[in-house]
Amino acid sequence: MFPALHRLIFGAACLMTAVRAAGQGLPESPLRTPDGRLVVSAEAVATIGPTDNEAYFNYTDYEHDAMRLFRLSASAVWKPAGWLALASEVRSENLEGPRVYAAYARIRPFRDRPFDVTAGRIPPAFGAFARRAYGTDNAVIGYPLAYQYLTSLRSDAAPVVADDLLRMRGRGWRPSFPLGSQAVEPGVPLVSGFRWDTGVGAAWTGSTVQVSAALTNGTLSNPRVGDDNAGKQISGRVAVTPIIGLVVGASGAAGEWLARGLPAAGSAQQRAFGADAEYSRGHWIVRGELVFSRWALPVPLPPAQAGAVSALGRWVEGRYRLTPRVFVAGRIDHLGFSRLTGSSVTLPWDAPVSRVEAAAGYYLRRNLVARMAVQRNRRDGGRVRGRTIPSVQLAYWF
Amino acid sequence: MLRLSAITCFLALLALGVAAPRGAAPGAAAAAAPGAIRGRVTLPSGPATSVDRPNVADVTMGAGLPVDRRSVVYLDPAPRAAFDSRDEPVARMDQRNKTFVPHVLAIVAGSTVEFPNSDRTYHNVFSLSKTKSFDLGRYAVGRSKSVRFERPGIVRVFCDIHSHMSAFILVFAHRYFAVAGEDGRYRIDGIPPGSYTVMTWNESAPLDAQRVVIPEGGGEVELNVNLRKR
Repeated sequence: MFPALHRLIFGAACLMTAVRAAGQGLPESPLRTPDGRLVVSAEAVATIGPTDNEAYFNYTDYEHDAMRLFRLSASAVWKPAGWLALASEVRSENLEGPRVYAAYARIRPFRDRPFDVTAGRIPPAFGAFARRAYGTDNAVIGYPLAYQYLTSLRSDAAPVVADDLLRMRGRGWRPSFPLGSQAVEPGVPLVSGFRWDTGVGAAWTGSTVQVSAALTNGTLSNPRVGDDNAGKQISGRVAVTPIIGLVVGASGAAGEWLARGLPAAGSAQQRAFGADAEYSRGHWIVRGELVFSRWALPVPLPPAQAGAVSALGRWVEGRYRLTPRVFVAGRIDHLGFSRLTGSSVTLPWDAPVSRVEAAAGYYLRRNLVARMAVQRNRRDGGRVRGRTIPSVQLAYWF
Repeated sequence: MLRLSAITCFLALLALGVAAPRGAAPGAAAAAAPGAIRGRVTLPSGPATSVDRPNVADVTMGAGLPVDRRSVVYLDPAPRAAFDSRDEPVARMDQRNKTFVPHVLAIVAGSTVEFPNSDRTYHNVFSLSKTKSFDLGRYAVGRSKSVRFERPGIVRVFCDIHSHMSAFILVFAHRYFAVAGEDGRYRIDGIPPGSYTVMTWNESAPLDAQRVVIPEGGGEVELNVNLRKR
């Protein structure tokens, strides 16, 4: 590990020097047309870490590792009128072809009321993490397990007996099941932090309360552009700011999550509940979030005839600014699963995962930050039980 | 978009007090009547609002905020007498309606600037400028924190929470400067006779330099400045 760490540090130092020199000519603020109606911004994030194609702790699908990723994104908001805004974000990962992450219209039907309607590929109404700007707002380098870690469930393939699912423990990067699609596809996370759902949403913002709700095609685990399941998902969040610096939120979502190709005995919904809190003061920010998700299965799994499985993700994170340029941060994260009875054993249906990540960052410029992190992962199952992953990152945005 | 080029910063730093005075001869200032420079600064047309960085994850409609892009006019170099002052005044840069007020502040080195928060939300004032680097952390409405600026130079001030909030503090080694008014008018008084370069700084224009002579008998010299677009 140590030679790899030395190479990482050396590579990061070279990269920082080059970027710092090049950074003098880079834009600092969003680009805009003279009338201010069109505003364009971008973000480039380069994360360097060792390969992890055995444990797949940070994979977001079968190809992309969040701790070893180069991501470019461009956002644009065009406001042709005071009541209308068109927003989009396009992303490219590892220099692959761009894909649309967000594309929606935002309408304010009443000029003097803080009520907005969105339609298209819209921001999530559930939870707090997915709405944060990654480069500027993420305390560490990795993502919370509930928003990233691939469980062994799939929306297009399903187990027939409990042992089918228990055999896939710790193999969320490539699970396979007897029922449904036989293609090689990754499992789903509790909430996708990398794709947004498509539908309509509404939000009302008061002085201390914000309420948002959405009706979308996919689910939290499997956001979609086109609908492939038997119904819509409804999701919502209420956030309260009782005192300045403290935000407390509660979220809920329910929607059909299985692809139409799977024979479901009845309604097969993903139901999720979330709670989040953020408190900041002085040079501190502390956040915590909890996500519970329950997935109905297409057929009850013998021998116990289990009709659903569930998971609970929870984490706390903190960031402290030591100086105007230097900060330290950390996150403690756990993802647990409900127990499932197989033919010979009762176990959590997927292998529980714990993660601790510590990071330090340095602002080369206001919009150019270098981070270094060490992440320790431990999993109660799978062929690799634990892994320590160092990584460095440069994030630039304007 | 509002960035200063390295050359402009270097020139500005020189002008803000690093250069030695070469206008009036030593002792001449005391005998001759002081003069004044006044005039008007005209800005190139451009956006008069600041914008948030587009956050597509925001579920609500944001709005552009007006920016008061005032210019600062100052002498380069300043008369030698200008460096005799030992005042350490206190200035104020408010955080109101998610903007810094004023957007441009000019002070003498040694001044303390207070940063009160007048909004019902957190702000986090900070600067990574070489002249003065600081981070006041997050503090709520009604509270104020202050920073002392010892060195001449340009300090860019930001809010860590609200990306569109920015301001400039120009720290001078002398007192021969003026912040232009809303209409662009300015006036610098009490200038000893001599030959000076009048510099005009604006965040959205290249630094402007013009020669001005204050006659031995004093009096007013009018100097209008048309800034070019950066």
